[in-house]
Amino acid sequence: MTTRSDIIAALPLDFAATVDPVRAAPSAARATPNQPIARRRRLHKKPALRNRGRAAHWTYDTSIPPTRRDQLQVRRWRRAAPPSDSADTSPAASKFAKYDIKAEVPAYDDETYAQHLTHPDWTKDETDRLFATYEDCYGKWPVIADHYVADSHKTMEEMKSRFYSISATLLNLQTPMTAMTASEYSAYDVLKSFDPLKEASRKKLAEGHLRRPRNEVDEETVLLSELQRIMLHQNTLDSEREDLRRRLQHPVADQNGYQYSTSQALTTLWQQLLAADRMKKTQRLRPLDISGARPSQSGAAANLPGADTTTSATPQTAQQSVVDMSKQDLQRFGVMVVQAGQEKLPTGISFASDKLSKPRVAKSSLQTDKIAATLTHIGVPELIPLPTLAVVEQFERIMAKMQVLLDLRKVAEKEEQELRVRGAEMGV
Amino acid sequence: MPAAPSKRVKGTQIRRHFLIGNTAHVLPSPGFPDPPPDGHTKGWTVYVRPLPNGPDITTWLKKVQFKLHHTYTDASRTIEAPGPFEVSETGYGEFGVEIRLYFAQESGEKAVYREHYLVLAAYGSDDQRARQERENKIVAERLETIEFNEPTQEFFKTLTSEEQFNWLKVKKGRGKGKKPDFIFEGAVEPTAQLPEKASEPGQAGAGGAWSVQYERQVLAQLQQSAAALDHSIEQEKRAMEERRRRLEEVGGAIGAK
Repeated sequence: MTTRSDIIAALPLDFAATVDPVRAAPSAARATPNQPIARRRRLHKKPALRNRGRAAHWTYDTSIPPTRRDQLQVRRWRRAAPPSDSADTSPAASKFAKYDIKAEVPAYDDETYAQHLTHPDWTKDETDRLFATYEDCYGKWPVIADHYVADSHKTMEEMKSRFYSISATLLNLQTPMTAMTASEYSAYDVLKSFDPLKEASRKKLAEGHLRRPRNEVDEETVLLSELQRIMLHQNTLDSEREDLRRRLQHPVADQNGYQYSTSQALTTLWQQLLAADRMKKTQRLRPLDISGARPSQSGAAANLPGADTTTSATPQTAQQSVVDMSKQDLQRFGVMVVQAGQEKLPTGISFASDKLSKPRVAKSSLQTDKIAATLTHIGVPELIPLPTLAVVEQFERIMAKMQVLLDLRKVAEKEEQELRVRGAEMGV
Repeated sequence: MPAAPSKRVKGTQIRRHFLIGNTAHVLPSPGFPDPPPDGHTKGWTVYVRPLPNGPDITTWLKKVQFKLHHTYTDASRTIEAPGPFEVSETGYGEFGVEIRLYFAQESGEKAVYREHYLVLAAYGSDDQRARQERENKIVAERLETIEFNEPTQEFFKTLTSEEQFNWLKVKKGRGKGKKPDFIFEGAVEPTAQLPEKASEPGQAGAGGAWSVQYERQVLAQLQQSAAALDHSIEQEKRAMEERRRRLEEVGGAIGAK
């Protein structure tokens, strides 16, 4: 490799002076040497150049690169190296010899070929030529495909497949699969697993990508971002769907009530509940001993109910006086007694007909319209003129079902959308 | 000793059915001024009534205020117990009448608004319409059920007293120093519940149509609707299964890709 300094050294001195005005300047100023100029002289290393004095010799000679097998004559400029410097004198070939790596080509003889390597699409001649070309072209497949001349046209993938399969077979013959080392086996595996069809389709796909029009690229970007969005929302959607399915199913008790089937077990349970209740601020359970134990006691308790009524100042007994009315009377006067465990009554006045109109109005007007449309569809009149208990109950049952239906439809919409997008994704 | 008026009877609810509605007639019609005021074509009566054979409505309802359309003179009409709680007018257009119900004092409840939209034109099926036109009487009413939740003790007492049915009974034996006896002479024992059967059909407008029979009809209709709804839910479920299958398919295909 020639450096700039080499070239400059090779040029005649006065030539260097004319070419480089900066270099010329100090020579003019040499008549009056003073400090700045001396410094500049040192900077430009002029003395070193001049001190070397002699120009280097270059020769123009002819050589044959040893890596070439054809007798190509190459002429090139070469520095006539001083005899002292032996490293430079070595021929150019040795410099590049390390790059000259022969491709490893597995060898086979006629017998092996006949026994193991025959192929319906390939003659022995063609195979031989393929291996020769492979060696010639240093195993560079595009070059091989370009150089290979065959009677029938062969694609690169066919050649690769043939070459690799033969390599694999030979490798297997050399060392049986059981005796292979790890690296040998991995090489064998790679060779075996070559699939020409897959490779061809892969290339075709890559080539297709090169020729895609702009709008297709845009569309794909949009679809991909949509897909990404769906994937992001997948979790929430899944959980929502799961939730809905759970709602549609009956809750399954995780333990049966069998353990409380005996009266003793029930008493224990009652005691437990009572104990738990005592811990709370507002106690809802009352111990059994007052009302429960009395009737079971002796006949002395017979006159006690009278005593009971005399002490009736508490609301509890007042309520009992309500319950005292006969069932017939209760009905006759339209009195309803709320059983324990039922939901609490609202205070003040309510109208039963409100229970028939209020559930129809949802938070959003869109939802309200949907409810109205579905109600009309199933034939529920807009105004139900008879808000009796049974009618209200039936209506509430309908509205509960309606909620389920609307939830289902909501999920349906989402899933349809997702299906469309996924379908489009398939089509790409 | 009477209980404090604020004390309420816990865990009870008393229900009373009553009617809100209107009748309408094409003028001229008996009972309305003839000739009618300029431009008025219909005579109507808006009312709040008890069910026939039910407890006395004045037990709990003391005053009703009807707010008519503001173009009527003296648009706010107030009727005090014992009623009847109704307003008759002539007019040409339908509008919403605001009805304010005032309750018995011992109830301790505030007045409540209900609304009734006047119906002056014939409505319903062709049959119904033909009958309404033939009879020159349109009845548009609905059953309301008022629920007194946890009434005060005093109010509870009046609402469960036998005297509520006195209005249906005939007084007898008005002797000296003796309370009059009330003898019920109707066929059916009065009750706060809906009557089992509708009374004779001619009595529409007097609430005769409201009965358990009618309730059963409504229930049957609703049950049909519920069945239709069940059907739709089934369909949706099936569609959902189908979609899930397709999703899995498509998902599988994409995964394979």
